[in-house]
Amino acid sequence: MKKITIDPITRLEGHGKIEIFLDAAGDVDRAYLQIPELRGFEKFCEGRPAEEMPRITTMICGVCPTAHHMASTKTLDDLWKVEPTSTAKKIRRLMYNAFLAEDHLLHFFYLGGPDFIVGPTAATAERNILGVIGKVGLEVGGKVIEARKRLRNVLRIIGGKPVMPSCGLPGGVSKAITEEERKTLIEAGEYAVDFCQFALKAFDDVVLKNKDYVDLITGDVYKHRTYYMGLVDENNKVNFYDGMIRVVDPDGKEFAKFRPQEYLDHIREHVEPWSYMKFCYLKNVGWKGFTDGEDSGIYRVAPLARLNASDGMATPLAQEAYERLFETLGGKPVHNTLAFHWARLVEALYASERVLELARDPELTSSDIVNLPSETPKEGVGVVEAPRGTLFHHYQTDETGILTGVNLIVATTNNIAPIVMSVEKAAKSLIHKGEVSDGLLNMIEMAFRAYDPCMACGTHALPGQMPLEIVICDSESNEVKRLSRF
Amino acid sequence: MGDDGIGVHVAQELAERINDENIDVMYANTSGLGLLESIAGYDKVIIIDAIDTGSGDIGGIYKLRLEDLVNTVNQTSWPHGMNFATAIEFGRRFAANQMPTEMVIFAIGVGQVTEFAEEMTAKATESVPEVVNLVLEEIGWAHRALLR
Repeated sequence: MKKITIDPITRLEGHGKIEIFLDAAGDVDRAYLQIPELRGFEKFCEGRPAEEMPRITTMICGVCPTAHHMASTKTLDDLWKVEPTSTAKKIRRLMYNAFLAEDHLLHFFYLGGPDFIVGPTAATAERNILGVIGKVGLEVGGKVIEARKRLRNVLRIIGGKPVMPSCGLPGGVSKAITEEERKTLIEAGEYAVDFCQFALKAFDDVVLKNKDYVDLITGDVYKHRTYYMGLVDENNKVNFYDGMIRVVDPDGKEFAKFRPQEYLDHIREHVEPWSYMKFCYLKNVGWKGFTDGEDSGIYRVAPLARLNASDGMATPLAQEAYERLFETLGGKPVHNTLAFHWARLVEALYASERVLELARDPELTSSDIVNLPSETPKEGVGVVEAPRGTLFHHYQTDETGILTGVNLIVATTNNIAPIVMSVEKAAKSLIHKGEVSDGLLNMIEMAFRAYDPCMACGTHALPGQMPLEIVICDSESNEVKRLSRF
Repeated sequence: MGDDGIGVHVAQELAERINDENIDVMYANTSGLGLLESIAGYDKVIIIDAIDTGSGDIGGIYKLRLEDLVNTVNQTSWPHGMNFATAIEFGRRFAANQMPTEMVIFAIGVGQVTEFAEEMTAKATESVPEVVNLVLEEIGWAHRALLR
């Protein structure tokens, strides 16, 4: 048996390693995605005051701190059984949608975009953001920066800091919005709506008008018939901040709809000996291994899953984009993993429209921003839709609010089982008789990059670069070939 | 994560001492391209961060300029893990008018960065006042800070 190792994966938050085992004929036997990720954050939080959690959990990762901040703040609402004021909810929603939009734009233009806009088999030297700029126009680079800068300024105005917010309190937020700040928020929303429409147009022109790319998206290599999960509002429209958790089956029919507090009745975690990650599955379907279909409890989260699990978008432009996506790809649900990229842009447009709508609401500048908690805390659950999927925070405390138990299901954990399936399926389809090229390996990486997985960790090493190395070993684990790209 | 927090510790000290509407102290907690939007629009930027040189020089202070990092500019690497120098090069090529004209990096050698710890190692902690003074000197605030 031959072994191919891709380590570390490029354009992935944190560190991951793909190992592909070939059989004697040189075809793929099994593929594994291993995450040598530090766990134990939950244990580290025990014994601390619960009200510190919105600030502590932002430190889990430098990419999605606002998601943890918001899930944590909502958990405190539930812990103290205090309903935030109407203005506080609007301020929180506005900040959260600004975060979703800026994070989705980052992924599309810097991470996933290069695979598509430049092309999956393009030379490595072109398959990056500079290649994207080359395809869609020089002025886009400045626009990407400007859009993200304006959206992050929204986070700074509301959250206190551009990256790690500190505004969430049980029952509200810590700072009101001034009329002058509201003008800045409106301008940011307007810019973001325009830019997201431009991004969707670019996707249309560069990707959808290219038959090869459309064939790749709709082909079998990147397809899995799974369940889908996402938060929905009272009309079953996508909602990132609040609502009920809805699950649809592989035919698109509603399988379950439940309150965040009921998550343990629906979600279980499976353990494999070869990974530190736990694999989530639907308890009421069961774990049947790494396989898809209606008998397997594996479900997916994040942009495409949210669109599949909903009945539409609550804003007009995003609703149009939503309808176009499903019309183009053959109706709901769409099982094609690469369509996550398109869904991400639809969601970025929705989030931007939400920012603008909320910024225009005069109630935003009311000073009624917090309801003080008066109940004794015991247990609370908070759920938001992070850019990378459904994020669960669950705290238990003593009567003084000191944490006695913490459970976090981070977005990527929901998607780990399907990511492993996607990598293996792509490997099996694209590697035959031991033939391996840079383009083929990138297409395997594309399978999981579509999910935008985040396994954050930090490195501070000179020269500050992490090379991609591919090691091919024979059946005795002897290295027979090594490819590197820097 | 232990010594990894040294930039935050220095920034906290600086935030307490500097009171000037033309100077912002920011906790960025991010890297590469994530920093780009944060520094766009400023004239001068000073970055303070941990560095693992591999030589075990904990608490050692390195004053670097972008020119020192020129060899790390690499446009073919993975964009999201894009290093600082490459991100700046990207910014200069596509949004030149938004990029600061002057950038200084104070990098402090660190040891323990992979375990949860609220405290830094003694050597890293001892270096904080010196880094603070170097930054104040860099922005011409050393004298005013002493008067405090």
